[in-house]
Amino acid sequence: MKLFVTRVLLLLLLVLLSACTAAPKKDLALERVRDELDSLKSNPELAGLAPLALSEAERALRNAELASGDDIKRSYMVYMADRRIQIARTVAERVQHEQTFNELESQRSEMLIKASNLEADQARAEADRARLLVATTTEDAQRAREEKEQALEKEAESARAAQLSAEEADQARRLAESRASEAEYARREADIASQQVTSLTRQLENLQLRETESGVVVTLGDVLFSSGQAQLVEGGRSSLEEVVDLLQTEPDKKIRVEGHTDSRGDAEANLLLSEQRAQAVREALISLGVASERVTALGMGEDFPIASNEDEAGRARNRRVDVILLDN
Amino acid sequence: MKPILISVLCLILAACATVTPGPEIFDAANQAIKVAEEAGGDEFAPVEMRFAREKLASAHKGMEKEKYEVTVYLLDESEINAELAFEKSRTAQSRRKVNELRKSNEELEANMHATFGDEFK
Repeated sequence: MKLFVTRVLLLLLLVLLSACTAAPKKDLALERVRDELDSLKSNPELAGLAPLALSEAERALRNAELASGDDIKRSYMVYMADRRIQIARTVAERVQHEQTFNELESQRSEMLIKASNLEADQARAEADRARLLVATTTEDAQRAREEKEQALEKEAESARAAQLSAEEADQARRLAESRASEAEYARREADIASQQVTSLTRQLENLQLRETESGVVVTLGDVLFSSGQAQLVEGGRSSLEEVVDLLQTEPDKKIRVEGHTDSRGDAEANLLLSEQRAQAVREALISLGVASERVTALGMGEDFPIASNEDEAGRARNRRVDVILLDN
Repeated sequence: MKPILISVLCLILAACATVTPGPEIFDAANQAIKVAEEAGGDEFAPVEMRFAREKLASAHKGMEKEKYEVTVYLLDESEINAELAFEKSRTAQSRRKVNELRKSNEELEANMHATFGDEFK
């Protein structure tokens, strides 16, 4: 009995010893590796990031767990499994870094976009300010210009008003004068009526019409002016009425008044005289109703005779005023 | 009778050949170490690189002692350490890139705040 108990005790001891020595020793290394793999798989940040490396680690660990054979082979397989797990963890970490890198990059480009938008906003605001400034300046300038224009206009207005009143006064004076001269004229006309009847008849006979290249020429004979004078003789003005009637039949045509002299005397003086006479006729025509813009006056001097200057009759013909109704 | 003898002799020779591995069994570990070195293993994973080299050296000794099984294990262990060193080097570089970018982003953000003030958030 005692022997039996001793045997049982020995057996138990052996079992305990064997449990302590061989089996737990291998399990410990394996367990540590298994724990490592489990912790990698349960890491929320790394799990699933390196599926290929992880499955290789898993297979290596399973092989180690199932391995039969000597301790050398077993510990070799556990070692390999451990390294595979570390590789899987490292690869997963790298994938994580790559994800973080991409996030950082998109954050960066967001920042840059925001910055360029802000920059654009600033530029826009600046441009707006500049535009506003320009607009204000332009407005100011415009206002100043308008004010100046108004002032000038006012000035002009008062000047016009002054001119107008001056003109009115002038007109009134002229009217008075003309009435006076008309009265005077009427009186004188009455005085010389008898003489004039004959002289006017003579004048009308002197009215000659010629067709030239320039147009119709009305030649006023040597009756309008006294010798050497540039003023129309009395009654000369009224002798032009017929000419005016003729001119007014072609109201669209321009009129040229040419003064001519004979060849006696100084050519310069003759030129001046002829010009003054032409001018006098022009003014007379205008006063008789011919539009002033139609009429130009020109002194031709002695250079365009229509007759000989050798005798008095020819010279008398050359002393003339031509009123030309221009064709165009 | 003669062919049987020859085939038996062949089998014996073949068995001898597999038992005695050639120097090519070192190729994989050597190659893995070289790749790890090129990836910056000595800088980023010096421990694993040392293991890889030590295991390789031990494998050479095992080869000399004709302990071929152990030699093969040691070569595997050398190779996988080199592989781990390679992966760790690449991961260290990716970590470095992340840190650089993070720092650069922080600088940019500070710059933006300085330039645009509170408008930049």
